[in-house]
Amino acid sequence: MHRLAFFDAEVWLGKPVGFPLAQESSRDVLVSALAALGITECCYSHWSGHSVSAQEGNRALLAEARDAGPRFHAIWTGLPLFPAEDGPLPGRSETPGSVCGVRLFPRTHNFPLSDWVVGGLCEWLISQRLPLLIWHEETGWDSLRALAVTFPGLTIVVETQVRKVFYHLRPLFALMKDCPNVLLETSNLTGIDSVAFAVHAFGAERLLFGSFLPANDPLAAMGMIADADMEEEEKRLVAGGNLRRLIEGRAR
Amino acid sequence: MSGAFIVDAHLHTGEHGPFFAPESGGRRLRSLMDRLAIERAILAGSWAALTRGGEAALADMRREHEESGGRIRYLGVFDPREAMESLRLLEKAKGWPGFQGIKLHPSFHRTPAEDPSYERAWSFAADNGLTILAHSWSPSEYNPVQALSLPSRYEGHVRRHPEVRFVMAHCGGRGSGRAEALRMAGTHPRVFLDLAGDIFCFHLLETLRNAVPEDRILFGSDYPWLDPRANISRVLLADVPDSWKRKVLRDNAIRAFALEERLS
Repeated sequence: MHRLAFFDAEVWLGKPVGFPLAQESSRDVLVSALAALGITECCYSHWSGHSVSAQEGNRALLAEARDAGPRFHAIWTGLPLFPAEDGPLPGRSETPGSVCGVRLFPRTHNFPLSDWVVGGLCEWLISQRLPLLIWHEETGWDSLRALAVTFPGLTIVVETQVRKVFYHLRPLFALMKDCPNVLLETSNLTGIDSVAFAVHAFGAERLLFGSFLPANDPLAAMGMIADADMEEEEKRLVAGGNLRRLIEGRAR
Repeated sequence: MSGAFIVDAHLHTGEHGPFFAPESGGRRLRSLMDRLAIERAILAGSWAALTRGGEAALADMRREHEESGGRIRYLGVFDPREAMESLRLLEKAKGWPGFQGIKLHPSFHRTPAEDPSYERAWSFAADNGLTILAHSWSPSEYNPVQALSLPSRYEGHVRRHPEVRFVMAHCGGRGSGRAEALRMAGTHPRVFLDLAGDIFCFHLLETLRNAVPEDRILFGSDYPWLDPRANISRVLLADVPDSWKRKVLRDNAIRAFALEERLS
């Protein structure tokens, strides 16, 4: 596994919601768990950004960022830029350099994923070279496709959490076929041959490894990549190469 | 060990309407078994057998067994809403090669697991030395029929038929059903739990090893709902002794399904 240099796009701080058997873990505990599997770099998010408010989650990430080190990158939670709201929000306040992406929860935070609502934020993300991340269940496939078509310069990472994505592979793969700016995070992409299928159909550069630690065991998603019917270079891209390139784009 | 040695204690075959699977038949399954060192597998109902039932579906599973050279064994599906017809088919299949037991799925069949209509299946298993594999899960906000398959709902049947080897699929799911499943495996000597499905909880193997007797956990993939690689990786790389990994990947399933006994 170590040879693939995994870089985890999906590590979560705070109290997990909807996973009663998962335990809240400190960053140090999670980092140790990842290191034991050879994962030395990750993007981390905070459950409060989903379950409390975008601002609360971002504040928690700001506190974590103070001593996080250069191999740990934050994913903030966003809201529409208008009407303006107080607090640490992408596009509204200064965004630290450690932020490597912005996630929206349209369903939970009660707004449609439509350009007339989130268009301003999308323009800002493009200007900052930041990707937009979204759980597949937080919006509808038509809305997601419309946004991807309207903003071809925006990188959209569809995340395979928090419910079973294998029920939705038909629209998901159709979306990826139509929209080259859509990438796919793989923590729950565990349907039969799903990783290899997506790589062969859309190219290895379209997938990003994620673990969804601590709710999920990283080994499930790692095994799907390490033992897939793919070339070694394709595995390296999915395991971490693509995410590194995405973050380097932000740094430039 | 070298060569194929794993027993996949819970998988399916057939074209599944609810989700995309590029290829999910017996040929692809056999190819994956070869690729992943899976020596034998328990076909816990084809999709047609689980949803439509009938003699043709049962015969198709027998054909899968024969085409696999005996590596794939199969379970007959008991639908309590069609109890007499299900029993007739089980009676027919019990002498067939590769027939290994009975699959129950209270959530699919919209009948709670404790319902008396299942008694015929439990008695049939007891009378014929068969294993029962049953779906189990936790209460789910977005899939309320899972409540029909809570582990504790099976306990009355288990008490009435302690001789039946009973495998609870999915270890009771990802919520409160887990504790019930563990309690039952700790209480009843012939209750087993399988790892099939997306119970991808962090450190699951390590947790289970400390919670139940070491001969009760079975590896299962739930193919083609899920790729066997997801769960095989978790067992092979878990922080548990190799001797227990072997039990999970092979020995416990042989015992739970009496594979050697029924083979001979």
